[in-house]
Amino acid sequence: MQSSNKSLRIGIAVAVVLATIGYLAFTGQAANKSYYVTIAEMQNMGQNAYASNLRVEGFVKPESIHPEGPNVRFVLTEFESHNPKADANPRHITVDYQGSEPPPDTFKGDAQALAIGTWGRDGVFHATQLQAKCASKYAPVQSTSSTGAKVAANDGAPKATPNGVPSPAGN
Amino acid sequence: MMKKLFLLTGIAAIALLMSWGFYQAMYAAPADAAQGDIGRIFYYHVPHGMLCYLFFTINFVASLLVLGWQRTNPARALAADAWALAGAEVGVVFCSVVLVTGPIWGRPVWGIWWTWDPRLTTTLVLWLIYVSYLLVRRFTSGSQVTTLAAVLSIFGALDMPVNYLANRLWRTQHPSPVFGGDPDAGLKDPAMLHAFGWNLLAWAVWGLAVLSFRVYIERRQQKIQHNAALAALNAD
Repeated sequence: MQSSNKSLRIGIAVAVVLATIGYLAFTGQAANKSYYVTIAEMQNMGQNAYASNLRVEGFVKPESIHPEGPNVRFVLTEFESHNPKADANPRHITVDYQGSEPPPDTFKGDAQALAIGTWGRDGVFHATQLQAKCASKYAPVQSTSSTGAKVAANDGAPKATPNGVPSPAGN
Repeated sequence: MMKKLFLLTGIAAIALLMSWGFYQAMYAAPADAAQGDIGRIFYYHVPHGMLCYLFFTINFVASLLVLGWQRTNPARALAADAWALAGAEVGVVFCSVVLVTGPIWGRPVWGIWWTWDPRLTTTLVLWLIYVSYLLVRRFTSGSQVTTLAAVLSIFGALDMPVNYLANRLWRTQHPSPVFGGDPDAGLKDPAMLHAFGWNLLAWAVWGLAVLSFRVYIERRQQKIQHNAALAALNAD
């Protein structure tokens, strides 16, 4: 009698804990914008965008990087340059980074990056921190030496599929 | 004599396997185009992450067995408890390696040592839960400890799926899954896959060997304690 009472209490405690974790996971997923916002989301925030410190995600537009000492001015855009959607004038913002140290080595054209700072009324994003986000794809440098033929053969395979539709980046 | 020989052969085999894994990771596999040589830390960081799940799962299953057998078969429950303890200890070592190699990697590649994104945070929580599990076991005594520890282990196990899914469900600084994720993701060179596979194997064998050794020691410890308790009873 006493033992079944005890297991009932333990059962209730476990149920409460599970429900709490489940609830947190569920609401966490609904608010999954928390770690960073996309450029489109920031531009849709209206006045709120100016009020808070933001972490904005995008791709660094090649040839837009202008370093000045440890500071950098560049354009952050929605898509990588080889993505077909990049031709259709995607949303982009100019980022003015003024931080205590230079950006990481992986910060270069077409790199996915996060800029942390504030969206100014001058239409420029003033970043105090830059973080590169690395891809989950690991591949050797495509050299032009003897391995070139092999690399070309590998590259040829996906293009052989009808229209060569590439999978959309992200999401 | 035979035992010693067996042990020495085993240690030599593991050392050889690890050296081969090291050679594969550092020399045989090509450097990643985007990250350069620093990307080779992948061959250590990811296998350790996968294997810490293995050892925490061993701890979880053993803890369930402890709770199941506690009343009906105390001798078996004691054996399961040895496995639970060893699983948590080895798991914490592997999880620590993940938490150390991560920042070393993140600093040059992301530009930061650490950030509170869901993946990193839940990994730290996982580590903290099992460290607290080990602390509970070490600094409390009495017959309730095994039960308490087994219940705590279940909470740790709950964090594992959350941690695993973190970079699938939510936006993170941590890269999305390399395996079983986007078709564009993955190790795109066979030599990279070999380096990964050999290191996964080497560290798995090493971890399981340490685990077995730890279970063996714990079982002997239990026997000593059992005999001491019996002797104390007889002396009365």
